[in-house]
Amino acid sequence: MLTRRTFLASALAAPCLAAPAAADLLKVRDLYQVKGRGLSDLAQQSVGQRLEIEGFMAPPLKAESRFFVLTKMPMAVCPFCETEAEWPNDIIAVYTKRIVDVTPFNVKITTSGVLEVGAYTDPDTGFVSLLRLVDATYG
Amino acid sequence: MKTIFSTTSLALILATGAASAQELPQANDAWFTAGQDAIQAIIDREINTGRAKNVILLVADGNGVGTNYATRLYAGQQEGQFGEEHVLPYETPDFHSALVKTYNINAQTPDSAPTAGAMNTGVKQRFNLINLGGDAIHDDCATVTGNELTTFAEIVSGMDKSVGIISTARLTHATPAAVYAKTANRDWEDEVPEGCTAQKDIAAQLIDQMDAGVIDLAMGGGRRYFAGKDVTLDEGGTGHRPDGQNLIEKATTLGAQYAWNTETFSSLNLDGSKPVLALFNDSHMEYEADRAEDDEPSLAEMTKSAIEYLSNNESGYYLEIEAGRVDHGNHAGNAKRTMIDGVAFAEAVAMADELTDDADTLIIVTADHEHGIAFNGYCGRGTPIDGLCYAVAQTGDKHSDELLLADDGKPYTVVGFLNGPGAVLKAGEGNDYTGSRDELTQDEAQDLDYIQQALIPSSSEMHSGVDVAVYAKGPWAHLFDGTIEQNVIFHVMNHAVAAE
Repeated sequence: MLTRRTFLASALAAPCLAAPAAADLLKVRDLYQVKGRGLSDLAQQSVGQRLEIEGFMAPPLKAESRFFVLTKMPMAVCPFCETEAEWPNDIIAVYTKRIVDVTPFNVKITTSGVLEVGAYTDPDTGFVSLLRLVDATYG
Repeated sequence: MKTIFSTTSLALILATGAASAQELPQANDAWFTAGQDAIQAIIDREINTGRAKNVILLVADGNGVGTNYATRLYAGQQEGQFGEEHVLPYETPDFHSALVKTYNINAQTPDSAPTAGAMNTGVKQRFNLINLGGDAIHDDCATVTGNELTTFAEIVSGMDKSVGIISTARLTHATPAAVYAKTANRDWEDEVPEGCTAQKDIAAQLIDQMDAGVIDLAMGGGRRYFAGKDVTLDEGGTGHRPDGQNLIEKATTLGAQYAWNTETFSSLNLDGSKPVLALFNDSHMEYEADRAEDDEPSLAEMTKSAIEYLSNNESGYYLEIEAGRVDHGNHAGNAKRTMIDGVAFAEAVAMADELTDDADTLIIVTADHEHGIAFNGYCGRGTPIDGLCYAVAQTGDKHSDELLLADDGKPYTVVGFLNGPGAVLKAGEGNDYTGSRDELTQDEAQDLDYIQQALIPSSSEMHSGVDVAVYAKGPWAHLFDGTIEQNVIFHVMNHAVAAE
């Protein structure tokens, strides 16, 4: 018989959704600690390395740019939830080799680039990033 | 003649009662005896017509009957059950229940502002407005004066009860705002249009209501709407208020306690002597799946503290608790986060029930609206609700190991959305949307970040007008029955606190 107490205990004992170990194809969340409060060990250890990360291209902030934001899920914008765009904490700024050919926001892409960390403000958009892929390609 | 004979036979069986049931071939089947136990539990219900000292309204935003079904199965499967048979804490026989029609005065598809307003004032309201009468117009400040409604919080405050609000969304978001705010636009969270003097922004109204003694406790997200743009906030972000007011400082100057993370939450004085303002995130609190224990308390933990705090008032209290991010998971088309936040909501309900007495506390569990969530078939028993659909097995109870395939030869998830970012039609050249479904593995489908496939392209998955359920126990909970309008919820609460 399921009691309230066993329900609570069982739910709390549910397995954690831990980040996977480093793999060839990474997810955006693999580079962050829980809730994007800091970088993961994997990110710290991968600075300067070329990584392949799957995610989604957020709608570009500027046309004819070499910059876009990679998100773990499509950037859903709910007009009745938000008064303005809500960027999640765990995103990756991507600086590309070529002018960005925009991909629809909900089409999964794989981005390859060299990992940089540290606060950086994009001079064109003012976008502040803590984590970047540079010299990047995607598809 | 045959039909008449069958009817007569059935009538005979029913008339002879339980003793004859033992002679039925299925009489010893576990389902049969469980069915008998179920009706006995309903027969044994005690109708409580006493006066409610306390009222707790728990709202899982966007948790219509479909979304709740997903959470039920997910919770059960996390415990090792098939899932379908699972019973959420508010689905036990001691809860009365009804279906709720959620439409707004001028909207078939509701939004969270007027739906929460209906529950807090007793009347349906207009789309995107909060606690203004039907003559008020969205985004028109000039229509505020004369249309302000009296809230349940104001009514019970007049009865010397305390009032608390908890939300995992911003405290200035629609559902929590409906406890204390009156606004012509739900988006006026920290500013009103130039020249608008008939109302303040929503955050300012919260602090005013705290100052007025109506609101005693408020815990949630939305910190940035309580401080000016030049203010660096507790976690390093910046305020958002154009008027530069620091409402956090104003609240503490007025005597309120302030908490902003798990540590300061744990240090709150819960003896009821000082109001509580807790803002755990610049915007919404984290999804339960992404929450760090040392950063933010859970919904159940906030519920526990709030009840401990409010219980100090011998005259009782009204507490609204919102699981705000169930809705956001659905909007993102991300069923997994929806279900995990749904489980967190269920834990909060269990906590509220455990800490209160059915004799004097009316607990109401409901949602404000449903989403465009739907469920594919024909999946076998125990198919992971967060994954791909397995076929029904010929023998035994559990599903077979064969994934069902659609006409395109690809497997599909149990959960789908009618619209949203998971649309299989992708933007092409011009306005040309084309596409086909991705080939999925079970691991991919069950990933935390997986977005379920949808039909209509839309950056955000949408609400739907489908009914939600309401469950209740305690004084006058039995008034919830049949299919009711959403504003009736207020009337049950109002009747319960005033009953002689």
